[in-house]
Amino acid sequence: MKNENAHKAPRQRSSFWILLVAAILLEAIAFVQYFASHEAVKREAMQRAQSELRKAELEIETHTIEMETAAKMLAKLTQQYLDRPDSIYGATKMVVSTLHNTSVAVAFIPNYFPKKGHYYEICSTRSDDGIYTRQIGSAEHDYTQMEWFQNGLVIDSCWWCEPYLDDSGSQTWVVSCSCPVYDRNGQVVAVVCVDLSLDYLEQLSEYLQVFPKSYYTISSGNGQLIVPAPDTIPGRKYYTFTEDIDATGWHLEIIIPDDVLYADLRRIGLIITIMMLLGIIILGAMLYFAARTNKKLILSTEKNERMESELYIASAIQMAMLPKVFPPFADRPDLNIHGLVEPAKEVGGDLYDFYIRHDKLFFCIGDVSGKGVPASLVMAMTRSLFRTISSHEEKAAEIVKTMNASVTEQNTQNMFLTFFVGVLDCQTGILDYCNAGHNAPVLIANGEHHMLPVLANIPLGIDAEYPFVAQTTQMKHSDLLFLYTDGLTEAENSTHTLFGDERMMASLATVTDTCPRKVIEHMQGAVTTFVAGAEQSDDLTMLAIRYQYPALYMRNDIQQIPTLAEWIEGLGLPDELSMPVNLALEEAVTNVMLYAYPGQHGSVLVECAKSLDPATRAPRLIFTITDSGIPFDPTKKEEADISLSAEEREIGGLGIHLVRQIMSEVLYERKDDKNVLTLIKNI
Amino acid sequence: MKTTITHNGNQVIAAFAGRLDTAAAVQTAEDVKPLMELEHKEIILDCSQLEYISSSGLRIFLGIRKEAAAHGSKVIVRNISADIRQVFMMTGFISLFEIQ
Repeated sequence: MKNENAHKAPRQRSSFWILLVAAILLEAIAFVQYFASHEAVKREAMQRAQSELRKAELEIETHTIEMETAAKMLAKLTQQYLDRPDSIYGATKMVVSTLHNTSVAVAFIPNYFPKKGHYYEICSTRSDDGIYTRQIGSAEHDYTQMEWFQNGLVIDSCWWCEPYLDDSGSQTWVVSCSCPVYDRNGQVVAVVCVDLSLDYLEQLSEYLQVFPKSYYTISSGNGQLIVPAPDTIPGRKYYTFTEDIDATGWHLEIIIPDDVLYADLRRIGLIITIMMLLGIIILGAMLYFAARTNKKLILSTEKNERMESELYIASAIQMAMLPKVFPPFADRPDLNIHGLVEPAKEVGGDLYDFYIRHDKLFFCIGDVSGKGVPASLVMAMTRSLFRTISSHEEKAAEIVKTMNASVTEQNTQNMFLTFFVGVLDCQTGILDYCNAGHNAPVLIANGEHHMLPVLANIPLGIDAEYPFVAQTTQMKHSDLLFLYTDGLTEAENSTHTLFGDERMMASLATVTDTCPRKVIEHMQGAVTTFVAGAEQSDDLTMLAIRYQYPALYMRNDIQQIPTLAEWIEGLGLPDELSMPVNLALEEAVTNVMLYAYPGQHGSVLVECAKSLDPATRAPRLIFTITDSGIPFDPTKKEEADISLSAEEREIGGLGIHLVRQIMSEVLYERKDDKNVLTLIKNI
Repeated sequence: MKTTITHNGNQVIAAFAGRLDTAAAVQTAEDVKPLMELEHKEIILDCSQLEYISSSGLRIFLGIRKEAAAHGSKVIVRNISADIRQVFMMTGFISLFEIQ
């Protein structure tokens, strides 16, 4: 757990940093872009405003010049018609016809034309209906009091009045341009006034309305707003671009609210920001998933390691579950078994197993292809399968077939295993066995050894339907079955020479004691000597099973004697030995039955072993007869004198005599409160 | 173990079939009791079907032999197998009986 956290924290932190840096970078890019664009937009707006202002100025000046020209032209005409006051009508009419939406007027100084009255002002107005010209001077309309007239009298050029709202007719803003009319003497006699409707200024929006929501103002020289702007809103930022019109002294102003100016930029900025946020979210998500995948990977790596070690432990447990206590069956003198698994460095897939059910010994040995965890897994599975399947099946072929089907079905790793199953009937010594591609076991019988004839069949895990064929053999008393995996025959020495079948058989030939433990130690020693320190590349597994007919337990009842004969028959002794051995044992056993338990129930145990004479290496049979009765040494019993005549012969004493006659050695020993009579027969 | 006794004139034939071991000896001892009181007969122990004999069986044979001698009868052992002959040899019985 500690490790896990230690792994987790820096990864989470690094993800966070990646995300943060990415966010900062993206936002920095966005800001830089925004402000760069901001400046560009501002600059562009300014340029555009200036350009539009100039256009507007030009437009205004065009009108101004037009009006000034019209005013000056009218002044000129008026000058020419000073002697013909009525002609002034025509002059004004002519001038107004050249202008749009305007009116022109010529106002004379009072009493200039005495015939025309005190006031004389000819005004010509052009409207949509046509041109209307009349004299409008009167006491009520005293133009002499008007600014334009007064200024027109004194200023020797065009004078522009302040724009004013025309209350006489159109209710539009009007601006007037006035200029003096001189007579031949250079005296100002009249003032020409050209009114200009400022309606046209509306059309300037074409230029001045630079943004849909921007606005502009036109103000006169003294601040009179001709075209007003909406009130500014406090807190709202405005950009103002201005232009002064020299001719009229007007002031043009384009006002662009900050938000209007940057509306597009902000919209784009917003889009970019959203996109960047999305990008960061996506990046974050990617990092998260990557981290999770990483974590998964890390976890799965850890899990793998853990699993590997767990499997190693499982394998070790499985190994430990393999029968390891030898001799395994304290109550079965008929079976002596020894097994050995010497695992190679890497976890391997060797296994052996055996157990007794219904007086039958079920045993197996196997070697899973490959090494490592998968092999050990298959090995563990195989052992379980063997136990499970053999728990309700006694035929070796059926066990193998069923196991094969299971292993093949579960074989996801294309692994296979060589396997050998034996079912030994402890009552009869008949061994039913079925091989699945495994090395042929060696049978050591009567001091001779040969490979058990086996059909190879095929290894388990290849063909679920394979018809495995079983074989049988009769195991005789003291026969030893030696099973092994290729860890033995393929043990390599430093020159990569294999131990091989021949060396194995040769080593087995030198076995003097068929005690399974000693056989395996012998073979282990042989292979260890052979490899001479070269690294063990494969598991070395050996299993030796020595079968002895059951030791015979009898009650102290002479009616049990026939069972002795059956037992001896089962030993498979040579014919010439069978009867004498039977006789000797019967005599010895009868002695026990008759004398060891006076007036009591008791039992006698008969055991047989085959071995070699330590001195002469001659094979010999060793029988031990054990009872828990009173100390009784039959060897001390007086023997019958067979030289006597029938009349002289005693009834007793024949038994021990026969035992001595038949056996090579008769030894008695009182051991652990038991009488142990050992009968040795050299054969 | 089966013991069959047949009378044929002066001859009384006891035919043993099976294994005359210690266990069987008890019954066989009973079965051969009629032979013990025979006088002046030729008692033939037919061992052609006898597969095995232990000291208990030998004791029965010896008992018959002794009784016969006491009653003026003669005992002849016939048709013994090699195995039984071996036992007779080992026990000196070979010289105690007339073996045919």
